Amino acid sequence: MIAAFFAYGFLALAIFYLQNLAFFPQMHLRLLALLLFYLGLRPSLALALALAVALGVLQDSFAITPFGLHLGSTLLVVGVARLFNQRLPQQRFGLQAAACLLAMVLQEVFLQTSLITLGYAGGLAWGQLYHHAVEILLTAVLGPLMCLLVLGLERFLGRYGWRPRSQQPDFYQPLA
Amino acid sequence: MRPDLHYRTPLIVALAVLLFFSVLSLGLKQSPVLKEVQGSVVAITAPVLQALESLGRRGRDLWLGYFYLVGARQENLQLHRSLEEYRQKEIQFQEAQQALTRLEALLALKRQVALPVIGARVIAYDSSLWSRCALIDQGKAQGVKTELPVLAPEGIVGRVVEAYPQYSKVMLIVDRKSGADAMVQRSRVRGILQGQGGNRCSLDFVPKSADVQVGDLVLASGLTGIYPKGLLFGKVTKADKKSPGVFQEIEVTPAVDLSALEEVLVIKVANLSLSEP
Repeated sequence: MIAAFFAYGFLALAIFYLQNLAFFPQMHLRLLALLLFYLGLRPSLALALALAVALGVLQDSFAITPFGLHLGSTLLVVGVARLFNQRLPQQRFGLQAAACLLAMVLQEVFLQTSLITLGYAGGLAWGQLYHHAVEILLTAVLGPLMCLLVLGLERFLGRYGWRPRSQQPDFYQPLA
Repeated sequence: MRPDLHYRTPLIVALAVLLFFSVLSLGLKQSPVLKEVQGSVVAITAPVLQALESLGRRGRDLWLGYFYLVGARQENLQLHRSLEEYRQKEIQFQEAQQALTRLEALLALKRQVALPVIGARVIAYDSSLWSRCALIDQGKAQGVKTELPVLAPEGIVGRVVEAYPQYSKVMLIVDRKSGADAMVQRSRVRGILQGQGGNRCSLDFVPKSADVQVGDLVLASGLTGIYPKGLLFGKVTKADKKSPGVFQEIEVTPAVDLSALEEVLVIKVANLSLSEP
């Protein structure tokens, strides 16, 4: 799993750097949340959780919101993805994108309510809400691409012998 | 389902919730361990950002100074060879001129401030939309400390909230957690300049009887001891006296374009006032 963690970690870092160079601070596409969501749909829960922790800490380190807030939001995205894990057929990109949209909306609601609870921020103005909504929609549109990226990397790792734990064949079958 | 897998999901959920609350509570207590973790993550990831930013800048210069011209030259190679060479030189000259203008403005600000300052370059922005901060390439090693004000030639940018060995985190004045004592230049009315997220601030606690108009400049009053008195925060873009309550609703747009920061100055000594403008 360590190799897979590093591979997906590097992919996430590349996305983070790309966003920082090209989009921030004008546009905040939730590409890391997107990556975590599609990773959460894959069999390896341990990998998705480990990456959620790492990416949460990374985002918390670059923000000035209370430390742990983004960690909570990344764990939430993986949690929502796991809810859909068995229910979404692999090739139904539209359904996956809709589920992803739901995960990101929940993430935003979680962040906003947490910030209000912690006394960090008041409500959002309409302009900001609109801005957030457009960014989330744009991110969800990119979902199928991210799905292909995650599957592609999984296939690439599979060539070198990595398989999610739940997909590994069970060789010990005494009653078979 | 195997019996040991039966409790797996609730266990994972419980562990995730426990992890979140533990980290959040440590974060709220400003735990030094978390600050170390934060510093380490920034120290590991920021150099790559810095290198990429520098590479991007050079690439852009190269694009503007060469490749862009190659494209133009290919279109007009036979007729305009000498003109292309001139254009290439002109663009390089313009780039140099722009850099010179920026640096001159920064130097003028340094003279105006008349305080020890550190020049810094913005290398990254906050990855979250929920807070507004920027990472600069100067840290404790260069004398940057928390609570030092950060300026751009056009006005106040924000203040340092975290200083790591080689980098610092600057809370921008539009961040929702940012608040500073400010005054309207024309009428000397005072209020609290509060960040509102996005790219705007509000001037709070200004009574409805006070004289504030759209277009008024909002300056630091020097009372909170962070921003030197007389430096510019921004301009009033909305002043609504019809809002409910005893105070006006005043919107202030920062003088600095906080989404396109390049070079900034960190004033090394906080709590000093400038002369009246």
